[in-house]
Parts: sequence; structure tokens; C-alpha cells
Amino acid sequence: MSTATGTELSSEISGWSDAGEELPPGLGPYQLAWRRLKRNKIALAFGGLFLAVVIVCLLAPVYSHDIAHSGPNDEHADTALNQFGLPIGPTWHAKFFLGADSTGRDVAVRLLYGGRNSLQIGAEATIITIVLATLLGILAGYFRGPLDGLISRAFELIWAYPVYLLGIALGVVLAISGLNLGFTRLSGNSLQIPALIIGVIYVPYVGKPVRGQVLGLREREFIDAARQQGLGHARIMFSEILPNVASTIIVFIPLIMANAILTEAGLSFLGAGVRPPNPSWGTMIGEGIGLLPAAVHTMLVPGIMLVLCVLGINVFGDGVRDALDPRAKIRIEH
Amino acid sequence: MRKYKRPLWAAVAVAMALAVAACGSSGSSSSASGGSSGTTSSTSSSGGSSSGKTGGTATVVEGTFPQSLDPSIDFTTQGGEVHWLTHLGPYSFAHATGTAGTQIIPSVAQASPTVSGGGKTYTFTIRSGLKYSDGTPLKASDLTFAIERDIKLGWSAAGFLTSTIAGASDYAKGKAKSISGITTDDASGKTTIHLVQPYGAFVDVLAVPGVSYLPKSTPMKPEPNNPPVGFGPYVIKNVQNNVGFSLDLNPNYASQAIPGIPAGKMNINVKIESNTTTEASDVLNNSADVFDWGDTIPPALIQQVSKQSDRYKAYETNKTFYWFLNTTQKPFNNALARQAVAYAVDRPALARIGSGALVPGCFLLPPQMVGHPTGQCPFGDPNSPPNVSKAKQMVQQSGTAGTPVTVWAENRQPRLQWAENYAATLNAIGYKATLKTIADAEYFSTIETLKNHPQTGFADWQQDFPNPTDFYQNLVDANAIVPVGNSNYEEVNDPHIQSELKALYPVPGDKINSAASRWAALDTYVTQKAYVVPYGYESSPEFLSNRIDFSKVVFSPLEGNDFSSLQPK
Repeated sequence: MSTATGTELSSEISGWSDAGEELPPGLGPYQLAWRRLKRNKIALAFGGLFLAVVIVCLLAPVYSHDIAHSGPNDEHADTALNQFGLPIGPTWHAKFFLGADSTGRDVAVRLLYGGRNSLQIGAEATIITIVLATLLGILAGYFRGPLDGLISRAFELIWAYPVYLLGIALGVVLAISGLNLGFTRLSGNSLQIPALIIGVIYVPYVGKPVRGQVLGLREREFIDAARQQGLGHARIMFSEILPNVASTIIVFIPLIMANAILTEAGLSFLGAGVRPPNPSWGTMIGEGIGLLPAAVHTMLVPGIMLVLCVLGINVFGDGVRDALDPRAKIRIEH
Repeated sequence: MRKYKRPLWAAVAVAMALAVAACGSSGSSSSASGGSSGTTSSTSSSGGSSSGKTGGTATVVEGTFPQSLDPSIDFTTQGGEVHWLTHLGPYSFAHATGTAGTQIIPSVAQASPTVSGGGKTYTFTIRSGLKYSDGTPLKASDLTFAIERDIKLGWSAAGFLTSTIAGASDYAKGKAKSISGITTDDASGKTTIHLVQPYGAFVDVLAVPGVSYLPKSTPMKPEPNNPPVGFGPYVIKNVQNNVGFSLDLNPNYASQAIPGIPAGKMNINVKIESNTTTEASDVLNNSADVFDWGDTIPPALIQQVSKQSDRYKAYETNKTFYWFLNTTQKPFNNALARQAVAYAVDRPALARIGSGALVPGCFLLPPQMVGHPTGQCPFGDPNSPPNVSKAKQMVQQSGTAGTPVTVWAENRQPRLQWAENYAATLNAIGYKATLKTIADAEYFSTIETLKNHPQTGFADWQQDFPNPTDFYQNLVDANAIVPVGNSNYEEVNDPHIQSELKALYPVPGDKINSAASRWAALDTYVTQKAYVVPYGYESSPEFLSNRIDFSKVVFSPLEGNDFSSLQPK
């Protein structure tokens, strides 16, 4: 990143300097942002909450093997269901700590494994969105012309469909037929399928703002200077332009992740996301609805976990946004 | 702190909204199709007078849309419950509860058929002056047309026709332009049907919904959204695929009503609710009137519902639930592998998951059916836990351990939960089982398409008439294997079964008890071979709202709730 770029950015964003505080010399914009984030205790607390959820979910195999002694798909209908098929509620003991579900599976174990699946899909979808949106947004904004037209129309086409309708349509079709990517084939019940669908659906939400920023940046003098120096297009895009949109992209990461997890839960709830018997918070909520009002825990427990996780990322993401660019107003409208 | 209040409270508000949405009553939870099945749980309550015994509209909630509202396609409980009132055939089943409901009565035909030619010729005359719901005169030759349409459009039970009526097989193969074995005289109404060989259940077949009269103006193509005109107490209207339809009283029927098939008293509004909890709740709180007899009252509500003896009763209706094992696909082309599955299936667990409405069992013929074996189950007591260790051993011996297995499952409670349990069982004994869930309304059409060759999955069979032929001719007879509408999901072609069926099919329906022991022997043989792995027999619920006079409603053991008997209190 050229010195001129850093100067350009710092001179425009007056909110970055901490008013009334003596700053050490040579502090870059990211160090400044980190200082601001560190002072935001609420954001850090919720970030910690999210991290705690992630760690607990990652420890699912340990809990399953050493504490609950039951796998996520192990059914115990004889001990966990009464003669009418009603599951037991929370026992607050190692086995069936949070109760059982409609086929006698341990809810706590499925909650953690479901969290792993939901978080994995959320993370993969986020990566897909960010990578594709950054690439396409930069290409569209830098080259403009027919390429920009093509990419922008593609964004608008995806954006025109309500997210859940598009997700359901793709989810149902791919669940039956699977997806042949050429170099590999994903089966209908692969977790990568909902990740891919959600990742692609959210590309326009990041791609359009990135494109907008690149449209402005390409006219700057430092880009002209780079061209004068004989740098190729690829070098200019990824050495000069990309660092300048990085802050925008970083802000989007927690927002997209929260939306991806929520979307996965919604699609799984509707039967178009994670396929049974694989657990996810959405499928657990969907199965739990059928047991209302007798076994409320089957729906409430995954619902609370989902809320805590998404709340954690959202508030932390707000903190990151405020730390990086207090004037930015980023929303994702459905 | 202050500047984060707004996003913080906004986040809390979002969380609350999510929690409320998750608790919402909209019945779209289990639908895997395009989201259109499962409407809101309570629509505007059907109108109708609360005083008097006729008039008004009764709301029926069904868990799944019929396979098709075209009688030449459908062969499901939801469809049969409709078509036996909208598309009458030469014969019908009595509109009566219990065993009386299995008796055959003349419908469009004037009287029982005359059987001659050593049991190969059936002759009857239809009533004169009958008209379809649109006023078109009903003719004897319309039956020939309707049977040809059944065959051409791949009616799921077309095997009843192609294997029995002379010339029907040639017609099915395209070798003939019409069915030579049926001759009719429109002037006199006389109809003569020649069979290729004696077939004792033939009059039962003529009484099954699907073998009905259709005017020759009916297009020779599926008409699910615009069902063909028929003759009966009701007319199908307002079809919205996967959402609902209505059955309006046929104003022309009362003046030509068939004895024993009364005109209806209420219009019927059928709405689809894929969430069975919502379905049962609707009837419990009287925002709907009739619960789908093909569904299971969910565990969350069964205790509450079963206490309402003035509007709930469970009936044994001869319905078997089973897992089919495709004998042409690995690993189930191996007999030892199939028997291992039969040992491993946890029937008591499946009974619990089914709200306790399932009686564990292992024979294909249900307990009330002639020919149900009285001996012990070859794979252990179905009421006891399964012998999983023996099953694992058998899988190892068969050399099929580790084989990937796709379990086809219907996306409907508790069938999906049963399939999850079954997949877990297969994994426990050494296979790599994965679930393939299909939306309710498409499930049977999908597994009945032969080219899919489903490996194993859920299936059930509700008796169409009180004769074991009904089960065997559709589910296990090699002649039932057809490209579309195939119910022999196992694709079994066993010479012993074929030779036994050849001897058993001709036994007349009124002498069926004389063949009970031979049927029992065959059923035991099929069970031992484990072509199918039955796991239980479910009782069917008759569950109505407080608005309907429960004492007057007829519950047919073959067609479920008789909508023509519904009347307000």
C-alpha cells in the first residue's frame, strides 16, 4: 500500500483520531481501530460470548464421548420416550442434560453438534461471499463497461429474489440431485450445499458496496500514478485498490456471518437446508415445533442458542464497524 | 456506553422477534417442497348453520395433498376418501362403520354381477338415466374408456386391471387400440368383462375408487388441477395444488341417488396442513372439523385428544407399515443382509415414536386380514428389543458391511422420525445409511418410478378391500413391476410367490376363509425372505370437532371418514 493511499484515507476520516488524547507517533489506521475496539467493552463482551459459543460447540465430541456417552444420532427411544412418544425433559444430569427429542436423541449433544454444523456453514458461506464479492466488486468497479454491466446485472438478478425463496428453491433441488462441480460431486445431504447456496445469495450485498467504493477509488491520483509506473491491472487492483476497500470488507464479515447463520437456520427450519438426521439449530427448532406444547425444551434450547450466537456476532460486528469507520452506515436489507 | 444502546436494544428486539417467530403457529415446518404446502393454522372458520342437521361447510385438514385429484392417477388414502364420493364405479363399498363397511354394494350397476365361464366372465347392467355432475348422460361404454385411461395414465393400481382383464395387457403395451375383454351395450346398459383367468377379488377391484365412470370427453392426459367430471354425491372444485380444494354437493345427485350411497349434507373444504401438531390442534380447538385419518395424532397431543371420547376414536383399519428392501440393489440383493435388517429393526421404538398408535408386528398381512399368520415372528418377539448383535454378525457374514445405503423418507411426522430411527439402525449394524427426504405429496410418485430404483425406504399399505390379494398383487407380485406407478418397490420376482399367487387369486371373495392357511403360509414365507420388513400396524383416528355430530358420522374401514355423513349437531 502506497504512502499516498494512507495519507488520502487518514485525511478524509477525521473521526479516526481520538479526540483530546495524545496518540503515540506512527499509529496506523488499524492500530487506531484496535484501540477503539478495546475501549468498547460491550462489543468485546458480546464477541467473547460468541467465542464461548464457538468453543463449546467445538468441544461437542468431548461432551458426547466423555460426558453424555451418546452420539448426535444415537436414539434411546426405550429410555427417553414415554409410551405416547413424548420425550423426557431436561434431567440436569450428564445424560439428557437438556432432555431428549422426538426420537430419543440427547438434545444437549445435538445442540453442540448442530452448533458446529451451523457455524461451519456460516463460516464457509461468509468466506464464499467475501471472496466472490470482493473479486467481482473490484473487477466491476475497476474495468467498468460491459464487464461491469454483466456483473451488476447478475448482482441485481440475485438481489431481486427474496433470500429465503431463492434459498428454498435451490436447497430443495440440490438436496435431491446433489451438485456436480466437475472436480467433485456434493451429495444431497452435504453441508457444503447450504453453505454454497447462502454464500452465493449474499454476494450482491457485499459486492455492490465494494463496487461502489472501487468506482470512486479508480479515479484517484494514486491509481494514475500506479498506471504511470507501468503496473498491470491485476497489480493495481490487488496492491492498490484492495487494501483501500479492506476496511469495508472487514466490517461486512461479522454481519454476513450473522446473516448466514440465521439464513441457514431458516432454511433448515423449512426443510431446505441441513438434511436430517444431521443436526443444526434450524432443524432442531423445526422438529421441536411438532412437540409443542408438551416438550417446549426441544424448540426453546436451540432457539436460545441461536439468539445468543447471532446477538454476539451482531453486537461485536457493530463494534468493529464503529472502530474502523464511525461514520459508516452499513445495513443489509432483505 | 450510550451510543451502543440503540444497536444493543435493536439486537434484543431482533432476538425477541426470532423467539416469537420460532414459536409461531404457521404450519410450514416440515414442507420440503416449494413452500406452498402448510398454510396458516387457523383459517376463517367454515361457515354453516349451527342449528339444523344439514347445510354449511365442514373443514377437513389433511397432512398431505392427494397424489392426484385425477382418479385415473391417485391411489392414496387422501385421494380415495374423495374419489369414492365424486367418481362412482360399477360397485362401491357400503357406507358403514366396521366390518359392514367392507361389504360390496351395487353403485352404477343395478345388482351384483353374474359370474359365469368358470369365474372368468362378469356381466352386469347399469342403471338407466344416470347423468354426470355436468349433465352428460352416463353410458356403459364409459367404463371401458375409464379403465383404458387408468392404464394409459399409469394408475398405481393398474396391475389389478392389466393382469386380470383379457386384452388389457395388450392395450397397456400398445399392441391394441382398446381392451378387447370388455364389451358394452349403451342402449341396454349391459356390460360384460372377460378375464384371462378366474380372479376371486374382481368385484372388489370394480369397487375401488379409480375404477369409475368417466365421460369420453375426458382428456387422455393427467388432469390433477382440473379433475375429470364424475358421477357421485360430490364434485371437486377450487383446486389449489398443495393448498386445498373443496367438495361441493352435486345438485344433480339427490334425484338419482344410489341406494346405500346417500347424498351429502354439508359442503367440504379440504385444506392441507403438513404439520400434524397444527392439524390436530385445529380440530381440538374447533377451527377445523375433521382430522386426516391417514395421519397420526402427534405425541404432544395424543393424551389430550384420546380423553375426548365424544369426538375421538381409534379404529383398526388393516394398515401395515414396512421398510422395503430392493432386491435388485446391493446390499439387499443378499438374503442374509435383508434378514439382518429384519432382526435389527427396533419395532418397540418405532411404536413409541408413532405416538403409541402402532402395534409392533412383522408380517405383511395385518392382524384383522384373512391370512395373517398366527405363528411367532421369525425374527423374535416384535414387542421386545431387537437382536442387534445378531444382525451385525449377519451383516459381516453377508460381506455387505460398509455398503452405502440410501433410505428414502417421506417428509412428514412421524414418518420422517421413523426413517431417522431406521437409518440409525442400519448404521448400527454396519451400513453407511443416509436419508433422502422427499416432500409428502411427491414421495410415492417418486418411489413408484421404477428408474429411481429406491434402495430402501418407508412404505405403507392400507387395505383397499378385505382380501389378501390387495396386499400381494400390488406389493409383492412380479407382474406389478411397472415403469410408472410401481408398488412392488422391492422389485421382487420370486417363483414360489408367483406360483402361490396363481393358485390363490382365483379363490372367490366369499370363500376367502378357505384359503386362509395357504395365505398364512405364503405370508410367513415372504417374512422369512425379508423382501419387506414390516414393523407395525397402525390404528386410524376418527377425530372430529365439537361442531360435528360424532354419533352420525360413518367411518369406513376402507375409505376413512365418510364426508357424506358429516352433519352439524
